[in-house]
Amino acid sequence: MIFFRTPSGARCGGRQAAPPAAPGHGHITPGCRHIRKILVFAVLVTAAGCSTYTSKMEISRDFYYAGEYEQAIGSLTALIKDASDNDVCLYLLERGKTRLAWGDYDSAIVDFQEAEKRVHEIEGTFSVSEFIKTSLVSAGKMEYQPESHEKILINAYLLLAYQMKGDFEGAKVERNRTVARLEQYTDALSQEDWEKLDVPFARYLAALLYEMEGLTDDARIEYDEVAKLRPEARPASENPNLTEVVVFAEMGRAPLKISREVKGYFNDTDGNLFGFFTLPGASEPMMVSGGAVSGLSMKNSGVVFSFAFPEYVRQPRIASSCRVVIDSLEAAPVKALDNIEETAMESFKKRIGMILLKSALRTYLRTLAQTKLDDKAGGLIDILGKFYSAVETADTRSWQTLPAEIGVFRMECPPGEHEVFLNYYDEGGVPAGCSRKVRFTVVEGKKEIIYFPGPS
Amino acid sequence: MKRILLLVLVCVLAVSGCGKKTRVIDLETDVAEDADFSSADLFTITEGMINSIKANGFYQLYAAQHGGEKPVMLLAESLINKTDEHIDTRLVLEKIRTQMMKENMAQFVDDQAFDMALEQLNMQATDLYDNAKAAKLGNFVGAKYILRGSISNLRKQDGRETINYMNVTLDIFEVETLLMKWTDEVEYKRASTKGKVRR
Repeated sequence: MIFFRTPSGARCGGRQAAPPAAPGHGHITPGCRHIRKILVFAVLVTAAGCSTYTSKMEISRDFYYAGEYEQAIGSLTALIKDASDNDVCLYLLERGKTRLAWGDYDSAIVDFQEAEKRVHEIEGTFSVSEFIKTSLVSAGKMEYQPESHEKILINAYLLLAYQMKGDFEGAKVERNRTVARLEQYTDALSQEDWEKLDVPFARYLAALLYEMEGLTDDARIEYDEVAKLRPEARPASENPNLTEVVVFAEMGRAPLKISREVKGYFNDTDGNLFGFFTLPGASEPMMVSGGAVSGLSMKNSGVVFSFAFPEYVRQPRIASSCRVVIDSLEAAPVKALDNIEETAMESFKKRIGMILLKSALRTYLRTLAQTKLDDKAGGLIDILGKFYSAVETADTRSWQTLPAEIGVFRMECPPGEHEVFLNYYDEGGVPAGCSRKVRFTVVEGKKEIIYFPGPS
Repeated sequence: MKRILLLVLVCVLAVSGCGKKTRVIDLETDVAEDADFSSADLFTITEGMINSIKANGFYQLYAAQHGGEKPVMLLAESLINKTDEHIDTRLVLEKIRTQMMKENMAQFVDDQAFDMALEQLNMQATDLYDNAKAAKLGNFVGAKYILRGSISNLRKQDGRETINYMNVTLDIFEVETLLMKWTDEVEYKRASTKGKVRR
């Protein structure tokens, strides 16, 4: 029998032990064994210092959600400087989004466009070296490929950046690109998947741009698509000549991926299996002692075992709703338009099977390196297997400066200068602060778009 | 001796992989790199449009009716860009203008020099300048025709393949009458496929 115990002594369970391993695999001198054990210890210590994308982004993310965009940009620029080629594209998206929130539209466009170019260059292609690295080393050793909704949002935010900087021609081009992306990524989906994975914010922006250009038929088509998911967000009619203010308000933080890891160390001492492993969320490691394992040679320095996978975690929110205040009068609540948090979770659900499969493959190959291959190829393979097992973390990359939700508010207003801000409320309807104030001018017969990047 | 040669060969191979390489691309024979709008398309469009204007005979007719004078034309600010690409559409119009002037087909009013010219005229009208030699106000020439157009595309993306249909339509209309004196289009459809394997 193999018994699982925590160091405090609680017995957790057991299973039937396999027959003892065949003897005769050991051919390493006691001195070498000693060095190996030191190395095993060293790699385990190294592993503790390995950071994930989510942890690297912590400072920038906190600055961003605190509205301290300048500091967030500085921190992201430093990350971009040190980033590997695999992560640069995602950091550019984070910085582009931050620059958009900060109001530096030209720089936001540069970042988004550079990221978009790379995303579409590698889309649908395959890299042999990446395949090998992700199979043996880590899931994060491949270039970041955004989820479909993230790809659509790149163009939606580019549209917004062009429009906010006053380049309507540029915004129209991005409108066309957004519509093309929506078609590319959502047309082939089943009705059920479409409802979960569509990006109504992008559709609404495209519709608004069509409306502003006077292309009311195109606007109607996109508004109707929005209405299938968010009927309350659809405007009553398409009127290009109506003098209006259109407010887009972001709320909450995008969910974050965290690394869940099962790690352990097993050794074969005099035919008996001994070791420990940690489970995600457990406060202390589980001890294993008893029987033996067949087919595995663990006589030398044991096996470092790891299985890591990402988990999406919803982030707590300060604000769950907001109301628009125009010229000191609280006008109305913002209508829910897009739940990006939900889209991200659904999109992840569709990919988790493949992620787990790849992680299992990595675990298998590393265990193999420390057992059967070690016997044939010598110590280096064993050390590499232990090292990569110890440093294994899940790929936690995702666009983290995205909001959890986006709402829309539009109101007819007289031409001239106005001031607008948002009052935020928590889940219980208790005031939870307000946004910065924005002064804007509406020209008769035109629409003015105001964008509020959200608080957490 | 063999070892030295081998060493030299290895060094040469190593060095040949380093450094920047520059090559000149012949604009006339340049081909598009992918399905997107490219510099090669600019040449195709200009050539096609100039040949069409020549064949139309609009400027020869004008010269015959106005004692050999060339029509005075103006470029629209830009082509109407209905594509999903950020294209410097003014460049298309300017290339056609350059070609028309080189071939002595028309005169053009520089719409973008208006403010600069006005500033100069106002300055030269002051006592700082020799009034007898100064450029005089009131001699701007109004354009009789405007060259304008639009550029549109239809893109289909299917896996690694992109198919892009592009259409450029230009026209020349008479300011006084709104009558279109010439119009033509250049269109092409191009497919490009990304390699399956990347480095």
